[in-house]
This record gives sequence, structure tokens and C-alpha cells, in this order.
Amino acid sequence: MSENHSALAMDCVVIANEPLGDGHFHLVAEPVVKPVAVAPGQFVMIRVANMLDPFLRRPMSVADFAPDGSRIGFVIKEVGKGTRILSILSPGAKIDVVGPFGTGFAIPDGAKKVWMVAGGTGVAPFLGLTENIKRADLDYTLLMGARSASQLFYAARFRDNGVNVITATEDGSDGVKGFVTSALSAELEKGMKPDVIFTCGPSPMMRAVAEIAEDAGIVCHASLESYMACGFGACLGCVVKKRGAEQYVTVCRTGPVFNALEIEI
Amino acid sequence: MSDKNLEVRFGELRLKNPVVTASGTFGYGLTYSKFYDVSTLGGFVTKGLSLKPKAGNKPPRICETAAGMLNAIGLQNIGLDKFISQKIPALKGVDTAIIVNFFGNTVEEYAEISARLSEIPQVSALEMNISCPNVKEGGIAFGSDVRATSKVVSACRKTSKKPLIVKLSPNVTDITEFARACEAEGADGLSVINTLVGMAIDINKRRPVLSNITGGLSGPAIKPVALRMVWQCYKTVKIPIFGIGGISSPEDVIEFMMAGATAVQIGSMNFVDPHIGKRIADTLPSVLDRIGESHISGIIGAAHS
Ligand SMILES: Cc1cc2nc3c(=O)[nH]c(=O)nc-3n(C[C@H](O)[C@H](O)[C@H](O)COP(=O)(O)OP(=O)(O)OC[C@H]3O[C@@H](n4cnc5c(N)ncnc54)[C@H](O)[C@@H]3O)c2cc1C
Ligand SMILES: Cc1cc2nc3c(=O)[nH]c(=O)nc-3n(C[C@H](O)[C@H](O)[C@H](O)COP(=O)(O)O)c2cc1C
Ligand code: FES
Repeated sequence: MSENHSALAMDCVVIANEPLGDGHFHLVAEPVVKPVAVAPGQFVMIRVANMLDPFLRRPMSVADFAPDGSRIGFVIKEVGKGTRILSILSPGAKIDVVGPFGTGFAIPDGAKKVWMVAGGTGVAPFLGLTENIKRADLDYTLLMGARSASQLFYAARFRDNGVNVITATEDGSDGVKGFVTSALSAELEKGMKPDVIFTCGPSPMMRAVAEIAEDAGIVCHASLESYMACGFGACLGCVVKKRGAEQYVTVCRTGPVFNALEIEI
Repeated sequence: MSDKNLEVRFGELRLKNPVVTASGTFGYGLTYSKFYDVSTLGGFVTKGLSLKPKAGNKPPRICETAAGMLNAIGLQNIGLDKFISQKIPALKGVDTAIIVNFFGNTVEEYAEISARLSEIPQVSALEMNISCPNVKEGGIAFGSDVRATSKVVSACRKTSKKPLIVKLSPNVTDITEFARACEAEGADGLSVINTLVGMAIDINKRRPVLSNITGGLSGPAIKPVALRMVWQCYKTVKIPIFGIGGISSPEDVIEFMMAGATAVQIGSMNFVDPHIGKRIADTLPSVLDRIGESHISGIIGAAHS
């Protein structure tokens, strides 16, 4: 047992907390202890308050980050009491973070054209991916969907980073009118074909993306969400069903990023 | 205060301190070694094992509640064979009590698992789960009927060569009847309590949150109920008791021990604070000091006199 016993505790201090609009915010924190290296697509478990209610930690994908873990950012949507508490934290506030956990987005060997399909806060891991995994031969395209133009977070930042950004809005206020999956199908119909599709967002969206990818014979990796109590494989609460087997695997440890063919989204 | 003063004797089982982690919240023991050296604990209890692997319930399996959580995992586990071939060898070198939790579908299965677990030298004690509220067989069917409890405990007593601890259900009218039956059949100890049956409804979907409809409530929300049941069992039987239910601090440990527990198990709080086992074991001496007690065993049942 040579493991570093304290490697996964990351008490952090908030250095910025900026509203992004429509109940979304960008929280940036720095570990006050020795940072732990982070990979794109990994997540952490945040204890939103040092109280017994809310009881469980909240899982959050690491968005933008410094590779050595000395700075980690989150793109968060306020949906309930835990995220509300996080939304009002001011710079200087302490947050109790454990992690990072899970498998991240790994670019398959030889893949050059990487498409990312994101809905809502699903853009979070792709900030970290495109800003930290940069190679001359990598060609990134982000297809991002939202209800309206005001929720297309970070489109400009992605473009500045050299990512080809295609947008879709349900109200037609920016890009393709409709769901991001329509934009994905339209791109594929043009004869474009990526080497891999990464997707993160609401389950119905990811299910549709996975189907489109499967039909087109493209490898698809999806970052799943699930209710989590621990985040590190101890409670067996976060499971997803394996495809074609009466067997469940943990989202927190086996995932959250899965080859879409292996699980039922 | 020296570590020696934290030692307790749970029947024949010697625990270096009374802080043990509870079944279903601690994996098979090594999940937490990335957080701390589990040998700092008095012991740990492994996830409930059955003869054959079990897939568990459909998700959603968990749901947060006020100061607690509901779970309906459905006893997902790797099965006895894999536990013996994969998990036991990995536990080599762990210097703490390893308590193996198990369940069966029938009395015969319970007896068989208890026999096979008895052959494993690293196993310190067995904990029979007759109280899981989330599966029809294996759990509550045995734990909510005194005669069924007597029968299954008696069968395991015959096949077990290790200390045999029975985990009781709180979902009964009078827990002391069950405690008495276990003692009469030769159980070496009791674990009190398993989770309380509860549920939650998603008002948007107009449906229960958990796919199993009901689940087991755990966490600080259940502590007063657990404490009361430990108190009642202590009054009823002579065998040692593990106090379980919502423990989140060294003060909670002391409370359970004063109610009559010889040692305690920490469950859901391991998820919230993965370091909690070590943290509580480390801070227990200073709290003992504060209440003016030199040896931890001096407080067992102290609230009864
Ligand atoms: C691996 C992972 C990564 C995540 N990354 C992000 C992220 O980058 N940004 C972000 O904003 N959110 C993310 N989430 C979702 C986030 O964890 C939940 O939105 C959050 O826990 C809700 O907490 P709350 O107290 O505000 O809501 P609660 O008061 O607990 O619940 C309010 C509502 O949110 C829903 N909800 C609660 N927990 C979850 C959950 N785990 N998944 C989906 N819905 C939930 C409930 O059904 C309820 O309707 C992630 C979840 C996982 C599992
Ligand atoms: C997710 C989860 C899984 C559990 N699995 C088991 C199990 O397999 N066997 C068992 O005897 N008890 C199981 N329990 C019950 C706990 O061991 C403990 O009795 C209960 O949670 C009360 O303690 P707590 O309030 O500290 O969590 C489980 C509890 C939780 C929360
Ligand atoms: S969240 Fe506990 S096992 Fe995945």
C-alpha cells in the first residue's frame, strides 16, 4: 500500500466567481494544499457547505484548469440548493473539494479530427480539453447547442483558441435553428467525417448523438451524469447499465466518459 | 493519552479502537486506501456478499434527504468466489479487523457462506445481514420475523468458526425480541441498526425517485432512532453491540458507547468525508480527555447507571 493517502483532498480557495447569465456561473478555485494533476473530463466532488444539510457532495466537471491542478474552473448551472450556495461564494471563500475522479476524455491513437457535441454546461470539459491538449495535428470542432444565443457560453473563447465552432439554438437566435443534433447531422451530410465524437450534456441529447455516430460508424465517447453519493466507487449508487448485459458499472469510476457502444445512455 | 486506552474487546474480537466502517459504504476495504491508511481504523466491514454475484437494482439508486440519504442499491456484489480470489489477497498486510458482511436467499445459503468465510484466515469476524430493506430475499424476510431470525442464526452458528455478529433491522415493532433471539441462538454480537425504510417522490415526474420505490434511510437524520435501539438492546442482552446510524463526529461515538455500544460503525458519512474514519479515530482521545475518562471502555453503557 504505497498510495499517497492525502492525494485526493484538495481544500480550495475561491479566486473568482462570475455570473455567465441565465443562472449559470464560472467558479474558479485554487488548492491551498499541494495540487493534484487533473485531466480533461475528470470531475471533483464539492462539499458545498460544512453542514449536514445539504448532505452529499455535488459532482462537478472540471472545466478550464492548469494541468498541474494549481487552478481549477467550473461552469455551473444553478438548479437547486447546492448550486445556489456555490453561486454566491465570494473570492476568498474556502471550498472543500475531493478528487479529481474518473476517466477523462482521451483522444484515441491516431485520431486528428475531433468533434465535440455539447449542450448547456456540457461545454465545461471541452474548455479544459481544447486548452490543455494542443497539438499541431489536432483539428477541433465544437458543436454547441442551447435554448438561446445568451446561453452559448464561451463560443468566442473557443474560437479564439482556434476551435471551429458551430452553434444551434432552439429559438434560432444564433446558428442553426433547432437542436445541436440537427447541426451534427447536417455536418455529416456535407460529407465531413471526424475520427471521434465526444459528447457531454443532457442524456436525451447524448443518446441522440450516440445514435447518429453509430449509424455513421464513428467512435463516440459520452460523459454521463448520474446521482452520486461518493464519487469514488464506494456506494454503487451512480451506476449505468452495460449494453447487452444484466450488469451495472459505476459512472464515477468506470466513467464518467464511456465509449457509447458499451453502455445504455 | 496512549493508543492502548482506545482498545476495546468486542467479545473475542480485539479492536485497537472502537471506530469501524460500515458495510456498503466502504467497498471491500481498499477503496479508501487512497485517502488514508485503513489500518488506523479499529476495523472495517465489507460490502454484503452472496454466494453468486448480484447485479443490484436499476438506477436511480440513491437520493439525498435532509441530513441523510436513501439508497436502494439492491446488494450488488461480486460474489463469494471473486471475493476470495481477488479481494482477500489484496488485503494482505492490512493491520485491522476485517469483518465480512454476508447474506443468502435461503437458510442453507446463509449457512454455506458462513462455512466458507470461516476458512479464510484473514477474516476476523462475520456479520450476517438479515435486515436489508431493499431486496425481497436475503434481507428483511429473515430480519422481520423472530422465528426466521432464530432459524437462520442457529444455522450459521453451526457452520461459523468465527465470531458471528447479526445485523438487526430497525423496521420492526420491538427490536429487543430479535436481540434476545440472536443471543439465545449463540450470536457473539449485534450490529444495530441497518437502514430505515423510506421514500421520496419527484413532484415533476409524479413518481417515486428511486426505481425500487422505497429505499433505506441513513445518515445523521436516523441517529436518535439508532441510539434509542442501541439503548434498548443493551438493556436486553449481554453480548456486545456495534452502534450504527448517522455517526459524524467523535462525540457521536461517545454517545453511542454511553448508550451501550462496545464499538461503532460509520456509514454514509464516509461518502461525505472520505477521511472521516481516520479523523474520528485520531480525535477520540482528546474528546475522552475532555469528558474526564482515561480508558474508552469505561464509558460503555455509562448512561444507564
Ligand atoms: C460527473 C458529473 C459532472 C457534472 N458536472 C457538472 C457541471 O460541470 N456543471 C453543472 O452545472 N452541473 C454538473 N453536474 C450536475 C450537478 O452535479 C448537479 O446539477 C448538482 O449536483 C445539483 O445540486 P443542487 O443541490 O443544486 O440540486 P438539488 O437541490 O440536489 O436538485 C435540484 C435538481 O437538480 C437535479 N439534480 C440533482 N443532482 C443531479 C445530478 N447529479 N445530475 C443531474 N441532475 C441532478 C435534481 O433532479 C433536481 O431536479 C455534474 C454531474 C455529474 C454526475
Ligand atoms: C449505500 C449504502 C449501502 C449499504 N449496503 C449495506 C450492505 O450491503 N449490507 C449491510 O448490512 N448494510 C448496508 N448498508 C447499511 C449501513 O451499513 C448502515 O447500517 C446504515 O447506513 C446506517 O449507518 P449510517 O447512518 O452511518 O449510514 C448500506 C448503507 C448505504 C448508505
Ligand atoms: S458515486 Fe458512489 S460508486 Fe459512484
